[in-house]
Amino acid sequence: MLLANNLSFKRGRKEIFQEMSISLPPKKIIHLKGRNGIGKTTFIKVLVNMLFPTTGEIYWNGKNIKKNLYEFFANLTYIMDIQTSKSELTVNENIRFWMKLFSSNIKSKQLEGIFDLLSLDKYKNTQVNFLSKGEIRKLELFRLVIEQKKLWILDEPYVGLDESTYELINGTFRNHIENNGMIFFSSHHRPELQNMDTINLENYANN
Amino acid sequence: MQTINSILAIFYKECKIAFRIFYDVLTIILFFLLGIFIFVFSVGPNKEIFSQIGVGIIWALLLLSTNLSIKRFYQDDYNDGNIFLLHMSGLSFELIVLIKLIALWFFFQLPFIIVIPIACLILGIGTEDIYLILITFFLGSPVLTSLASISGSMNLLNNKNFAVGSVIIMVLSIPLIIFSTGIINAPPELIKPQLGILGGILLFFLALTPWVSAGCIKIALKYN
Repeated sequence: MLLANNLSFKRGRKEIFQEMSISLPPKKIIHLKGRNGIGKTTFIKVLVNMLFPTTGEIYWNGKNIKKNLYEFFANLTYIMDIQTSKSELTVNENIRFWMKLFSSNIKSKQLEGIFDLLSLDKYKNTQVNFLSKGEIRKLELFRLVIEQKKLWILDEPYVGLDESTYELINGTFRNHIENNGMIFFSSHHRPELQNMDTINLENYANN
Repeated sequence: MQTINSILAIFYKECKIAFRIFYDVLTIILFFLLGIFIFVFSVGPNKEIFSQIGVGIIWALLLLSTNLSIKRFYQDDYNDGNIFLLHMSGLSFELIVLIKLIALWFFFQLPFIIVIPIACLILGIGTEDIYLILITFFLGSPVLTSLASISGSMNLLNNKNFAVGSVIIMVLSIPLIIFSTGIINAPPELIKPQLGILGGILLFFLALTPWVSAGCIKIALKYN
C-alpha cells in the first residue's frame, strides 16, 4: 500500500502543488489528470523519490521510503515519459538487458506471446532508433511485464499508441489489479476501468 | 545475487554499446596519432628534441583525447532516464559510477596501449623508456578516466558550454602530468618513489570519484 501524506513541492519560489495526500491500496487505480504544465510529471517524480518534497512523507507498506528506498524500488515499476530503451541496441537486446537487470524469471514463451500481441515480433532484431514513436512506447511498456512488480507508476502511458494497443493496456491494467496490484498513472484520457479514482492536480496547484 | 546480476547486465550492455559505436573509439585514437604527427611537422625533424619532449607530447595528447570522451560518460544515460532506471534496480549511484569507470576505462583508455608504442617509435623514444611510459600509462589512465567521470557528471545540466568540462579535466590533471612525465628524466634511484606517488594519486582519485560523481548526478536529477 502506498501512502503519501501532505505532499508539497516548491521549484525555486514557485509552489507546484501543496498539501496533497493519496492512498493507494491493492486492487486500486489512481488516475492523475490536469492541464499541460500543471506538474503531473513533477508529482510522479516526487512519488518515486527522484525529487524530494518540501513537506510531507511517502510510505510504502507503513515504512518511510526515504529509509527503505531499495525495498520500495523492489516493488515498483516506473514508466517514464521519455524513452529509456537504448537506441543503439536492438529490441531484443534491450529486453534481455532489462530481464537481467531486474532478475526477471519471465518465460521466453510468455515473452513471445507479448511480442505477438504488441506486433513487435518482426522488429526483434531492429535497432531501436529505426522504430516509430508508438513502437518505442510499446517497447517501454514491456517493462511492466518483465519486472513483475506490485506497484506500477506510469507517466502518460497512452501517448502515441494506436487503438488496439490502448485496449491491450487497459486489459493489462485490469489483469494487474485482479492480482492485487496497484496502479498510479497520469493521462489526459480517461479509460473505462473499475476501482479507479481520478485526482485532478489543478485542485492542489497554486495557480 | 541480484546485485551481481544487475552489475553483469550493465557491463554487458556497455560492451554492446561500445562495440556499436566503435568508430568513436577509433576516431579518438586517430586524433591521438594525428596529434603526434602535427607535433612532428610543426617542430621539425630533430631527433634530439623529440627524445627529450616526446613523453610530454604523448601525455598532453592523452589528456586531450580523454577530453573527447567526456560526453560518453553520463550524458546519454542521464537524458534518457537510464541512470535512474539502474538506480531503481537496486544499485546505488556510487556503484553505478564505479561500473561506468571500469567499463569506460576499458574501452576508451586501454586501446591506447597499442598506440602508445607506435607513437614512441614515431618520436624516436628509446625502448627502455617505452616500458616506463607504459607503466605510467597503466597507473595514470584510470586517473584520466576518473577525471572525465567527475567532469562529465558536473556538466550534466550544462547544455551550452561544452568547453568548461575540458577545462576542469586540465586543471585537475596537473599533478598527474607532472609526475608521469618527470619519471623519464628522473635519475634511476628516483623512479620507484615517483611511481609510488603516481600510485597514490591513482588511489586518491579512485576513492574519491564515485562519491563526487554520484553527488553530482543526484544534484542533476534534482534540478532537471
